[in-house]
Amino acid sequence: MLKLPNLNIGKISLLVAIMTWLALLFVDITRLFGNLNQMESGIAPEISYILEILFFIVVYLFFNYSIQKSEKNNFIDLIWRGATTGLVATSISIIISIFYYLLGDSRLASDPLLRNVFYHIDFAFVTLFLVSCTLLWKHLILYQRTKRVVQQWQAFEVGLLISMFFVFFNRNTLDYSFLFGLAVLVIFGASLAVNLKWIPYLTFKEKWKSILFLVFIQFSAAYLFIQVLSYSEENSIYLNLTDNLFLLSLFSFVFIYAIFSFLVTLFNLPTSSVFEQKLIEAINFQRLSQSIKPGQNENQVLDILMDSCMSAAYVDAAWLELKEHDEKSSIIHQRYLSNEEQVVLQKLIGSSKPFSDFKWDDKLQDNKTYTGKINDLKYKSVMMIPLTVNKNTIGRIFLLKEVKDGFNKEMINIISTFVGQACISVENHRLLNEALKNERYKEELLIAQRVQRSLLPSELHHDSTFEIHGFSEAADEVGGDYYETQSLGEAEFAVIIGDVSGKGTSAAFNMSQMKGVFHSLVQLNPSPKEFLVKANMALSHCLEKNHFITTSYFIINTKKKSIRYARAGHCPTLFYDAEKNDSEYLDIDGMGLGILRNSSFEKYIHEKEVFYKKDDILVLFTDGIVEAKNEHSEEFGYERLKNVLTENHEQTAAEIQQKLIDQVYDFIGSNTLPDDDYSLLVIKFNS
Amino acid sequence: MLKIETTKETNYHLIQLIGEVDASNSVELDEAIVDLIEQEAKNILIDGTQLDYISSAGLGVFMSYIEDFEEKNITLVIFGLNEKVFQVFKILGLDHLINIKSKKIEAVQEIE
Repeated sequence: MLKLPNLNIGKISLLVAIMTWLALLFVDITRLFGNLNQMESGIAPEISYILEILFFIVVYLFFNYSIQKSEKNNFIDLIWRGATTGLVATSISIIISIFYYLLGDSRLASDPLLRNVFYHIDFAFVTLFLVSCTLLWKHLILYQRTKRVVQQWQAFEVGLLISMFFVFFNRNTLDYSFLFGLAVLVIFGASLAVNLKWIPYLTFKEKWKSILFLVFIQFSAAYLFIQVLSYSEENSIYLNLTDNLFLLSLFSFVFIYAIFSFLVTLFNLPTSSVFEQKLIEAINFQRLSQSIKPGQNENQVLDILMDSCMSAAYVDAAWLELKEHDEKSSIIHQRYLSNEEQVVLQKLIGSSKPFSDFKWDDKLQDNKTYTGKINDLKYKSVMMIPLTVNKNTIGRIFLLKEVKDGFNKEMINIISTFVGQACISVENHRLLNEALKNERYKEELLIAQRVQRSLLPSELHHDSTFEIHGFSEAADEVGGDYYETQSLGEAEFAVIIGDVSGKGTSAAFNMSQMKGVFHSLVQLNPSPKEFLVKANMALSHCLEKNHFITTSYFIINTKKKSIRYARAGHCPTLFYDAEKNDSEYLDIDGMGLGILRNSSFEKYIHEKEVFYKKDDILVLFTDGIVEAKNEHSEEFGYERLKNVLTENHEQTAAEIQQKLIDQVYDFIGSNTLPDDDYSLLVIKFNS
Repeated sequence: MLKIETTKETNYHLIQLIGEVDASNSVELDEAIVDLIEQEAKNILIDGTQLDYISSAGLGVFMSYIEDFEEKNITLVIFGLNEKVFQVFKILGLDHLINIKSKKIEAVQEIE
């Protein structure tokens, strides 16, 4: 509700203006009536002057408000507004003249009261026209304003305000002080009128329009000025409102600015096409530099590039070819040419200098352009620009003109700038696509990681007589280490640890095959040797020629307190003997799975059995642990592993596992990244 | 880092491995061997005196040619491995399938 007054400033000021004008009319008519009838009405002329000033100010405020409200209007609309106000004021003035002409010598024609009413109407419209025009000029003058111009304008407005009150001193008569004040304001107005920065931004058509509208304004101003002069020449008995310093200053200001604008626009007409051209080039440049959005085709950039180059050099025909894989190239964009013509021209250009010097695999083609003439009936000059992305030439643009030497230095410069920018856009687009692709791979790899993690068991089978604890960490996102347990019935457990040759994704795939083999074979409850021989048979069909898997397979019997085991190329298992308080590696011969893919594999596999006692510890691990290197390329080694276990034999399986891993990480130090997978399985017998 | 130098002697080809063989450069070793097979080499000696480390991927290269060499009657002898690298071959069981000698003279004798 509070906002309501703000919204209606325009309407209120209009209403106040009308009321002021009516009051002015009433006061003047009353005074005139009194004068005519030899009665002293007692109304001083100052009252009229005050109402006049009030009228000026309110009209000024009204137009100031209404122009600011329609700030979005372009220049032509603004000038048209001024022109229409001028035409309306002029028409009304002409209609009044015609009306009096038609009345002839009748009594009504000489009636002073009626004449005074019409005089007031004329006065109102002249004021409206001049004030609205002045404020339009203000808008134009302050286009691309500087601080100096704004200050100058404010001073001018103050001058105008003072000029309104000048009427109290000279009562609208043309004395010297009046002429002096007028001269000051005219010079001031003229100095402001040199601010014409808006004109170059008009297009050729708009310039013609604005010239026409400016002529209307000049005509209206001139006609109304003569009309106002004719009023003051009539030595009339009523109060002179129009020989006012404010109004006459505005007349001169409106007229001078209209003349200046008119002349400058006129002289700008021939060069406007150059300005428009530069503006289009700037816009094209901006369009080219906006990088292509992902998913969009880079062809769109090349399309803009073609249009930009063609308009920059007034080209008659053009095409763009892109290099394909096998020394061939395809035409992507073709303008104003038939396919047959293009083929003939391409041959002709390819055989003439300097175009024949072009080589696709030249690495120094950045910013290189080729211009020259060809021996053709229609086209006389040719420009060829290679498109280079990341130092590789990806295509060429051919521009053809019907005139000789059609490409000047400026055109060549702007075209190579366009081409450079377009190439950067294409390059950015390609880089962005690659980055997106990599992002996708990374995500896939994360999924693979999750899947692989789930392949390692979270729970390890055991009973109350022993503890078991496992650990596995891959160097890359996915790895090739594997361990698993299985219950084989009462008091018997199978334990396997494995390491797939190689690293990363390929190792991860083979690791999952190993898991499958383990779960199939463990159902048959094979002996460790049987297991390895069968696993070798199965994997011989699955593994690539140069891949192998090393594993150790154990069957723990908690009743017999025995461990039966076989080793297939896997690093030896560490065994802590509590009685001796010493650790030893279990020595047994073996061969990696997949190395020998026939029945002779069997003879390299052996099986042994050891018996354990309370507090003995079995540590299964992969070679990543013993081969872990520190920054001096020193390996963690079997000896260190053995010592750490012996020192920590009193702790639980989980603690020992943690201790071993901590020692490995301490050893490699924080500066080296693990370059192999680490896995560890600690089994501690409690009874 | 791995450097491979191949030289041709009167009755054998010698591949000298200098540095470390791992997953990133095992392909180079493979290429060197393929090259010799294409030259129809009959005797290949691998000089491992300056081989500091070999990963499972490097072992995979040797392993993958065992059957090929048997079929084509090519003799492959590795010599001069240091203790640590020899252990890697031994743990995997490759010492049963590949002729590994400690001295070059022994390796050359093996061919004759």
